[in-house]
Amino acid sequence: MLLAALSLFLLFAPAANTLRNVVFDGYQQLFPLERTTDPVAIVVIDEEAIAHYGQWPWPRTRIAELITRISQAQPASIGLDLFFSEPDRFSPAAMADEMPILPTNLAKALREMPSNDEQLAKAIEGRNVVLGIGTTSDVDPRFRGPPRAAPVVTSGAREAEMPNWPGYIGSLDVIDAAAAGHGLMNSGPQDQVVRVVPIVERIQGVIVPTLGVESVRVAEGVGLRLDDAPGGLLLLRLAGVSMPLQRDGTAWIRYSRHDESRMVSAFDVLSGKLDPERLRQKVVLVGVTGLGVLDHKSTPLGEFVPGVEIHAQIVENLVNGVALVRPTFATWIEGAVFILCGFVLIWFIPRLSALQGINLVVFLVLLLLCIGLVAFRHLHMLFDFAWPALGTVAVFGTVVVGTLSEAERQRRVLRDQAAHMAGEVDAARRIQMGLLPDPREALGNDRRFKLAALLEPARTVGGDFYDCFHIDSRRIFFVVADVSGKGLPAALFMASVKSHLKSAALRGGDVGEVLTRAQAEIARENPEQLFVTAFAAILDVPSGVIEFSSAGHEPPFVRTPRGAPERFEMPGGPPLCVVEDFVYAPSRRRLEPGEWICCVTDGATEAMNEQREFFGVERLRASLSWMPEDIDPANLVERLRDDVRRFAGDAEPADDITLLVLRWEGGAEAEA
Amino acid sequence: MNVSSRRFANAVVLRVEGRLDQDTCAAFTTDLMKSVDTAAAEGGAVVLDLSGLEYISSAGLRCFMLASRQAKAQHAKIAVAALQPMVAEIFQISHFNLVFQVFPTVREALGAVSGDAAAAFEKG
Repeated sequence: MLLAALSLFLLFAPAANTLRNVVFDGYQQLFPLERTTDPVAIVVIDEEAIAHYGQWPWPRTRIAELITRISQAQPASIGLDLFFSEPDRFSPAAMADEMPILPTNLAKALREMPSNDEQLAKAIEGRNVVLGIGTTSDVDPRFRGPPRAAPVVTSGAREAEMPNWPGYIGSLDVIDAAAAGHGLMNSGPQDQVVRVVPIVERIQGVIVPTLGVESVRVAEGVGLRLDDAPGGLLLLRLAGVSMPLQRDGTAWIRYSRHDESRMVSAFDVLSGKLDPERLRQKVVLVGVTGLGVLDHKSTPLGEFVPGVEIHAQIVENLVNGVALVRPTFATWIEGAVFILCGFVLIWFIPRLSALQGINLVVFLVLLLLCIGLVAFRHLHMLFDFAWPALGTVAVFGTVVVGTLSEAERQRRVLRDQAAHMAGEVDAARRIQMGLLPDPREALGNDRRFKLAALLEPARTVGGDFYDCFHIDSRRIFFVVADVSGKGLPAALFMASVKSHLKSAALRGGDVGEVLTRAQAEIARENPEQLFVTAFAAILDVPSGVIEFSSAGHEPPFVRTPRGAPERFEMPGGPPLCVVEDFVYAPSRRRLEPGEWICCVTDGATEAMNEQREFFGVERLRASLSWMPEDIDPANLVERLRDDVRRFAGDAEPADDITLLVLRWEGGAEAEA
Repeated sequence: MNVSSRRFANAVVLRVEGRLDQDTCAAFTTDLMKSVDTAAAEGGAVVLDLSGLEYISSAGLRCFMLASRQAKAQHAKIAVAALQPMVAEIFQISHFNLVFQVFPTVREALGAVSGDAAAAFEKG
């Protein structure tokens, strides 16, 4: 997955550049360079100057005067963001040529006067003036030889990656020769935000520094050194300052905000209004701004400044040592950071809650952006952590989707298992229900008694059961029982208990003996130590004598004709398998014809409604007393079941409900 | 349901509150067995204070039965006390008085199982 993300990154690398620029511009805007030193002043030939001294280009004498005036303020050097490639057409000789109507002697006198170019050269001479050079893609016929650039001491071979221009435009030889240095005027592309500017480039193999750097060099009166530096960088050094450069001789400029305090109007200089202190010992750059937006550039701070100001910012970067670089290992670090974050997420996300996961991602992204800012501010290095951050978010998304689909898969497996389990539980439930006899089939159609039973299963398989069968031709046995607990163990135990009870009953003896005997048998096969409550009875059908015993079971209700339901009180004993040597004793009662007996399990008395109240013995008694006197047992169990259901309402039944009703109709009379 | 335990000399009184049924009995069984083990190790007794027990299902009764059997096997004493009417009726129907000594109050139960514990209970 990380590989996929990495290849995606490579695919979108061009788009990443745009993103990177946004991030780097963001850094610049968050922390614009605070100007702490003031090494540069800019003399601008602005609209005010042009308005006063005539349209551009000015006669070179005017420029000579400007330079003279500037130099009177004792600047460290003067860098002209200008070149003078053609002879000045305002030179006296040129004027004479232009105006044939002039008297010959006047024309002759004009032709003998020094040219404006010579006057400019004189003004430049010995005044630490740097002239601009513009690079061209073709050799300009006027400037065939290499430019007069001060030699740059180099070591290493990387400078070979700098662009090498075939041609250039400089100044007339007479002016050029008077200059103390030559600097590139190129201050970055016109229509883009200027983030990276060329600091050194080559023209016909000769290394030429940019105007600002050259002006500093001239001011210091030393030579430039260009060396290889770690991280695939170059290091430009002069006097006590240095500036790291990218391999192609460019540098990322750390911008400060546009500041009018470093701008001086050429009008103030020429009209003598200038305070000389504003230029003293400074690098003075001279540029033209009065020509509209011809040479204006956008900065990452979102400002639109004259090209000469970019040169000034280069000087400030150089002098303060704050220029930014992006070492070649930056991309590798960014990649490694991304992979690290990716692994952190892949490791932690499946182990964290969703909220913690999101917090982790937000934390990682913020951490990356902070590291980027710290590197920018304190190390002057540009790390682009935007794409690792984006990648991290992407990995997070992928991991979350992966985790979700894994969770979904697990849920499906669980659901399948649950369905399978439910299938088995249902099967167990069906088998259990199948064990219960249909009273009519089991007992035949005997008019002397009626027996009906019903087991209403709860959702989970439970341990209730009832049974009824003939012991011999006179007597029937019936039992209602409830195994402790629920689920498959209870269901299995119930099956065993039922068969033991039946075999114990068929072996004869009174009902107490039946229970005692069954308990002994059941206890032998009871590893889970379950127990079972049971109400068991033997009815002698002809006489109506019922013999019964309870093993910890809910007492049944009996109701004689014209009587009220009464609880069947009896001594009984504990549930089977609680006190294993307990001997159960029988009780006896002679039923009246029409008397019925109703046995229930605690699923009925302990049925709960939504208010968590129990149905209880008293509601059972009330429900039974409302039943019509001559009600059929089958009818009675259904009505009683309905009463319990109605009481429970929407509450889910917690336990099985088992109801068994026997009604003795009378012995011989009914038979006859 | 909620179980809290207090010691009086060598007896532990486990107060059981709420409803003891299929869903709650597994955790309770663990607690109860631990107390029985402790009582057995110290030759002491466990008294179940059921004054807060509202309901007990057959699964809950089985849990009591298991505790009683373990206590018997380890020669520890166990008694129940202060049954609410509904639980008392369940005990009566189930004849669980054959399984446990049943006392109306915790004080009487402690008195029956351990003189020291009863003295400690009186003190406070």
